[in-house]
Amino acid sequence: MTTPAIAAVAATKRFPGVLANDAVDFTVFAGEVHTILGENGAGKSTLAAMLCGLYQPDEGHVERNGEPTLLRSPRDGLAQGIGMVHQHFRLVDRFTVAENVILGDPDQPRLIDQSVVETRVAEIGERFGLPIDPRARIADLTVGQRQRVEIVKMLYRDAEVLLLDEPTAVLTPKEVEALFITVNAMTAAGKAIVFISHKLGEVMSISDRVTVMRAGRVTGEVATADTDQRHLAELMVGRPVESETRRATAKSGQADVLLECRGLTLSIDGQNAVDDVDITLRRGEILGIAGVAGNGQRPLARLLAGIDGCDAGSVAVNGSSVTNHGPLAARNAGLAFVPEDRLGTGLVPGLSLTDNMLLTRPRKFLVDRKGARREVGQAITDYEIKTPGTEAHARLLSGGNSQKVLLARELASLGTEDGPQVIIVSSPTRGLDIGAAEFVRGLLHEARERGAAVLIISEDLDEVRSLADRVAVLYRGQIALQGRTDDLTIEQIGLAMAGVSADDDVGASPAEVAG
Amino acid sequence: MLPFNVRLERRMDFPWWRNALTPFLSVLAALIVGGAFLAIEGFNPITVYRALFDASFTSKFGITDTLTLATPLILTGLAAAIVFRMNLFNIGAEGQLYLGAIFGSWAGLTISEGLPTILGVTVVLIAGAIGGALWALPPALAKAYLGTSEIITTLMFTFIGLFLMKYLIFGSNSAWRDTEVANFPQGRKIPPEARFEAFGNTRLHWGLIVAIGIAIGIWALIRFTSLGFDMNVVGSSPNAAAYAGIPVRRTVIIALLISGALGGLAGATEVAGRAFALDPNGLELGIGFTGIVVAALARYNPFAIIFVATFLGGIRNAGLALQSLPGERVPVEVSLMLQGAILLFAIGGEVFGNNRLRLTRRVTTADAIAEATA
Ligand SMILES: Nc1ncnc2c1ncn2[C@@H]1O[C@H](COP(=O)(O)OP(=O)(O)OP(=O)(O)O)[C@@H](O)[C@H]1O
Ligand SMILES: [Mg+2]
Repeated sequence: MTTPAIAAVAATKRFPGVLANDAVDFTVFAGEVHTILGENGAGKSTLAAMLCGLYQPDEGHVERNGEPTLLRSPRDGLAQGIGMVHQHFRLVDRFTVAENVILGDPDQPRLIDQSVVETRVAEIGERFGLPIDPRARIADLTVGQRQRVEIVKMLYRDAEVLLLDEPTAVLTPKEVEALFITVNAMTAAGKAIVFISHKLGEVMSISDRVTVMRAGRVTGEVATADTDQRHLAELMVGRPVESETRRATAKSGQADVLLECRGLTLSIDGQNAVDDVDITLRRGEILGIAGVAGNGQRPLARLLAGIDGCDAGSVAVNGSSVTNHGPLAARNAGLAFVPEDRLGTGLVPGLSLTDNMLLTRPRKFLVDRKGARREVGQAITDYEIKTPGTEAHARLLSGGNSQKVLLARELASLGTEDGPQVIIVSSPTRGLDIGAAEFVRGLLHEARERGAAVLIISEDLDEVRSLADRVAVLYRGQIALQGRTDDLTIEQIGLAMAGVSADDDVGASPAEVAG
Repeated sequence: MLPFNVRLERRMDFPWWRNALTPFLSVLAALIVGGAFLAIEGFNPITVYRALFDASFTSKFGITDTLTLATPLILTGLAAAIVFRMNLFNIGAEGQLYLGAIFGSWAGLTISEGLPTILGVTVVLIAGAIGGALWALPPALAKAYLGTSEIITTLMFTFIGLFLMKYLIFGSNSAWRDTEVANFPQGRKIPPEARFEAFGNTRLHWGLIVAIGIAIGIWALIRFTSLGFDMNVVGSSPNAAAYAGIPVRRTVIIALLISGALGGLAGATEVAGRAFALDPNGLELGIGFTGIVVAALARYNPFAIIFVATFLGGIRNAGLALQSLPGERVPVEVSLMLQGAILLFAIGGEVFGNNRLRLTRRVTTADAIAEATA
């Protein structure tokens, strides 16, 4: 066999209180896709960060083409043809695509010829299936397009090894297909790809080999040809995983209305980001809001949660009007909100988990850290959160684990007198490993069983369909389609998401369902 | 041009020992640089530093004078710390101090007379705190509702406060001015009931105990109360504050008012403990501005502020003592220079504590943009 394009050799990385990577051996050959699979906090991002130069191993080393190498920074990594696409993009919003691509490139001539750059960007786009307008401003691009820019940026610098950390978590199914075409084109061109994802279907279809990590260690390596999803799931979680979705049908009909909005409208920059939206959500029901990212999901969620004020319309939680009364009024009326932006909105990165637990708790004169500490401790056990302790800063948690903290806080005291009645969750399982995703789905179902109403907002159509009793599709701020999940085909939903009107074909008309 | 780029990389880890060590190393570096200057000027740095240390810390009247100077510095240090840690930059403690002195001396002159001392002094302090808070109010409102930079407004208010204070004594026959003294305009003395009691035959007064008590109070406010918690959240993540329903504007205003009140208290303790009158010359010492240095060196920690204020108070105190050093008449500017050097190194220490310096091969301008925007 040839030498690997990049390898970690007995690489160990410690953080205060955590052994994030424990003597990890990992190789990727040119022309293959090697997936790292593992639970939240297993150490996947840390391994990738060592391979690209963001972190340096405490013990062990990284090899490039069989030669030991010292990568002191991501720039050293790039100089050696190793590029990483992080889940949080590092682009300058106000710059164009071409400007971002050459930003920080040490090989650029002093005087930059814009047209040369644009031509090369277009060439790369052509070759790897990454169509992008070099003159477009980043601010005007969708998340999927921004990711493309990140990849183009790496290819422009002749990266031979690409590390993609959960690239599909933010993509629509269509965009995932497009990304996979790109990945295949890259491996065909002899590039080595490291892929990280929690979605086993994707992992099976795109990778050649899979390395499974648990608690910082490599626990197995298999060729995808020799395995299946069930087996991967077992390797990862260490026990058989129930992969069936278990959407029980909601009790029909006339339960009390817990969340109701009428004619909700908000215009941003002269455009209606949320346009005359009506929603009726009853006790014991899960409504899923589907839609391509950027069609008003975010502003809608913020309006319902009272964070932003609306221009027109009304919101009532549990019978009391909370229109434009702010987030406290909504929360006091029994609403809990898990925002899409975890670190920075839902959690304060620079505060401890204990303090983060207090963020949405009612204020008394003194803060109750003791109680909060107990709650965090409980959540760590219940949700299997991997953290050095209750006083660790939220910033230090892995993506999935911070999500768990947030859910634990917002779903606490569920089913009790002062527990939440209405739960709004954006992308509930994004970034969660399959075990944790299963657990969260279970939680949301339990919430419903206990008489709460749940609103799920997600770009992941499978997630919406597997969880929700009813589905509403947002398109350009309007509800384009609404109906019982069982009555809608995936095609109908897909068409509505794309903005193709299909009212006549749907079993239940929006008005009927809303009423 | 240098053949390589200098750049700072943000450190990923923040061990506690580095936080604790940085201020000490900063001060040490400042003393070394200061020592070099002394040597160039022909003084023996060791002798000067030893004399300085003795004059400020080890002799009885040295340490009590140092603590007397430290008292208002603790308060202005707290004034800076409580808002700087929220990224709110009230740099106007100096002006708030003047207003605290104006209000405090007014209360001392008109209310305190005949009251028991403890009440008489309390009245002065409360009035001073109100004066300082009032002086911070317009900048606070402008910040919260118009987004005006508090750095500029609080600084401008400092100058207004300074000239107001001077006008009251030098420019008018105000209630503050002692009209019975004809030759040189000065403030009317507040009655004994409005004065802090001194310790023994020293100049040190009860204001120190008050200042320490307030430092503890501020620590408790930040650590244990919901208001302190909300201030933390607003400071470190305004988005999360909005999400949680924390009234961001109100929290910003309250924080700036508390900061202003602390600055005002510093002025009031100076009146009640040292000047005993509205004394522009005795108050215009840059105590408010030095508070910013105190807060930065103490990393905004209320307890550390007590020690840093004492240290800087000592350096100030030494400035006077140095001039009478037998054989070596060191100019008073030395202590000012030392203080400046300490500030410079404190800021430097902050930067190098949080970042790692890296030298890399020089590359293109695009690169520089990337660095600037990263
Ligand atoms: N900079 C850091 N400082 C301290 N601890 C860290 C740091 N980065 C990661 N960790 C810890 O190291 C462990 C591994 O984190 P890592 O981000 O590699 O997990 P992951 O496998 O990518 O998880 P996820 O699927 O949730 O993204 C976690 O317990 C995390 O809390
Ligand atoms: Mg990760």
